[in-house]
Amino acid sequence: MILQDRPNPIGELLIVLEYWDHLLSGFLLTMWLYGWALLMGFLLGLTLANLRQYGGWFLSRIASGYIEFIRGTPLLAQLFFIYFLPSSLNIPVGDWKIETSFTILNKDITIILLNYRTLAGLLTLGLNSAAYQAEYFRGAIMSIGTEQLMAAQSLGMSRIAGIRHIVLPQALRRVIPAWSNEAAYLPKYTVVVYFIGVKDLFSQAHHTVAFTFISVTTYVLIAIIFLVTITIISKGLDIIHKRTMIPGL
Amino acid sequence: MLRVVDIWKSYEDLHVLKGVSFEIGEGEVKVIFGPSGSGKSTLLRCINMLNPPDKGEVYLRGQNITASEVNINAMRARIGMVFQHFNLFAHLKAIDNVSIGLRRVKGFPKEEAQAKALEVLQSVKMEKWADHYPAELSGGQQQRVGIARALAMDPDVILFDEPTSALDPELIGEVLQVMLDIAKAGTTMIVVTHEMGFAKAVASEMIFLGDGVIIESGTPEHFFVSPKSERVKNFLKQLDVLYGSHEKLLK
Amino acid sequence: MSDIPPLPEIIFYILRRGLYHSLLLTALGLSIGFILGLSLALMRVHGAKELAWFSSGYEKLFRGIPLIVLIYVFAFGLPDIFWYIDPLELRLGSVVLALSLRSAAYQSQIFRGAILSVTPGQTEAARSLGMKESQAFRHIVMPQALRLAVPSWSNEYAVVIKDSSFASTIGIIEMTQAAYFVSVNFQEIWALSYLILAILYLLFTYPITRIFGERQSKKLKKMGMGGG
Repeated sequence: MILQDRPNPIGELLIVLEYWDHLLSGFLLTMWLYGWALLMGFLLGLTLANLRQYGGWFLSRIASGYIEFIRGTPLLAQLFFIYFLPSSLNIPVGDWKIETSFTILNKDITIILLNYRTLAGLLTLGLNSAAYQAEYFRGAIMSIGTEQLMAAQSLGMSRIAGIRHIVLPQALRRVIPAWSNEAAYLPKYTVVVYFIGVKDLFSQAHHTVAFTFISVTTYVLIAIIFLVTITIISKGLDIIHKRTMIPGL
Repeated sequence: MLRVVDIWKSYEDLHVLKGVSFEIGEGEVKVIFGPSGSGKSTLLRCINMLNPPDKGEVYLRGQNITASEVNINAMRARIGMVFQHFNLFAHLKAIDNVSIGLRRVKGFPKEEAQAKALEVLQSVKMEKWADHYPAELSGGQQQRVGIARALAMDPDVILFDEPTSALDPELIGEVLQVMLDIAKAGTTMIVVTHEMGFAKAVASEMIFLGDGVIIESGTPEHFFVSPKSERVKNFLKQLDVLYGSHEKLLK
Repeated sequence: MSDIPPLPEIIFYILRRGLYHSLLLTALGLSIGFILGLSLALMRVHGAKELAWFSSGYEKLFRGIPLIVLIYVFAFGLPDIFWYIDPLELRLGSVVLALSLRSAAYQSQIFRGAILSVTPGQTEAARSLGMKESQAFRHIVMPQALRLAVPSWSNEYAVVIKDSSFASTIGIIEMTQAAYFVSVNFQEIWALSYLILAILYLLFTYPITRIFGERQSKKLKKMGMGGG
């Protein structure tokens, strides 16, 4: 039968693992992108949610429009749009980069922390995540209810102070379960940056396949790495949530 | 026709029913009342086996329905139930709510079921609302449809679980009126309620349930003229303050 | 530098070359995902412990893997097993398989949530009429659960149609790939072609999610369904 002459999966796995330094470099870059994208998404998303809920007619419409646009269009299209934008507008991009190197177990690992491609990828992921995070924040803010804000204002607080000191602290605690969901699964989406030439884990997987000609096992390994990473992040956030719970919130 | 023998029921460590027994004959109306938490709702759900008792038996026309070999669904079709929160099927029109039991449980063909459903809706004065969804009906209207749904199955006995407790005051009268009408028509009813006016009008016996046991039982006259235990006396006094005005709603 | 074609022509080109596969992949992915997802939900709600455990594990697995990686696993793996099938069909099959398996995991959650949010009193009333559990489930719970699932499901539809864009990465000519062709041939409008593509997707997603999303949720609450 056709499968008889394939070496066993374990053997294949061992061959692929010889390229662990490439995979590690890719993994670290993926996590680097993930971290920044999550942060950017958080800050921008929170801003958007506030604008939507408390902004005037005009600002809240803009925020809504942004959110609906990002959520209604594919990440891949957003990525290519941002990546090609400078060249379409004839803005020069340059060949700059910021990188870091270190050595582990006699293997040199170099990671490009920032160059044009990485920046474009990071921006896309951040802008994208912001739209989704904004929805979670908005739900939480709405669930806190207008009465809380009214109570704050009745004490003499300005609207902004009320939002900052009464609504948001509660909303941010209430949003943790839903937000953890988004935070845990965001690493999945970083793989798109491969398509603009960023050397993330997925890209390194291709690289390894090119050398070893072992494809399925490599990709399955990558899948497992993502699964484990996501599970760890998810459980970690769960623990934090339980530690910081306030009864009734 | 329905005999409840020594029912015991507990949830984890909490004993809700501790040996409750009573009987009800054909055409009789028994009113069960008492403080909340005394197990009244649980008792009803033990009778139709929605929540089987830990100990004890229930006999319907001589048949032990708590026995394990029994086809409980067939038994439930003979025991009707009206719920505090109506529990009408939200996705079905009123007439379909009443006819679905006939179609799916008793196997009536669609036209027959619809015809009978319309008849029953007429008896609760809801025939004009047959094509409306529960959400379009007031609480009192929904409960009347709920009663119709139970009636349509021609049950041996109907259990009422605080049928008017969730209703706004103005709507209670119409539901109590329907209950009075079917009681006078000879329906066998076990009613958990605080509506003492209803009890005075049609109850053959009243049962005071407290802490999971029957504390006192007797005719309405017994309770309202000379109740025995202090507890019952106090309870009735409180009820009168809250519900006494409803007597005027009944003719 | 060639002449850039007018906007309508670009739009028609993308649709003409790409719409068929985009819709085909979406339809297949959603429907297989529906059947599988509903089964998984039923397994978790009513199934034996082992089935429920399997369903739960399935969900975790296919939610924790990037879709692209899953596509590549099939794209490289299937030709080994099905060497006799035409390569294009295999690539389509890989994407459909990946989309379906992923969607099933999400749809399973959607249906499970919907079933659990049908008010318990509904089942009680059904059983009080003498209906068996299975009858009560089929005639009372499921009709309401399916209605309750509509808002989340419309969201899942949007996700799948967007995810179908990844098919372009293994050479299937759907809308995103068509946009790529445009951008390659007319490099001055690299970005514009993707903007147009994005708006096309928006036309497919926004109306649906708007009508069947939040608005539907509010309508259902008013009808007295859910919230259980």
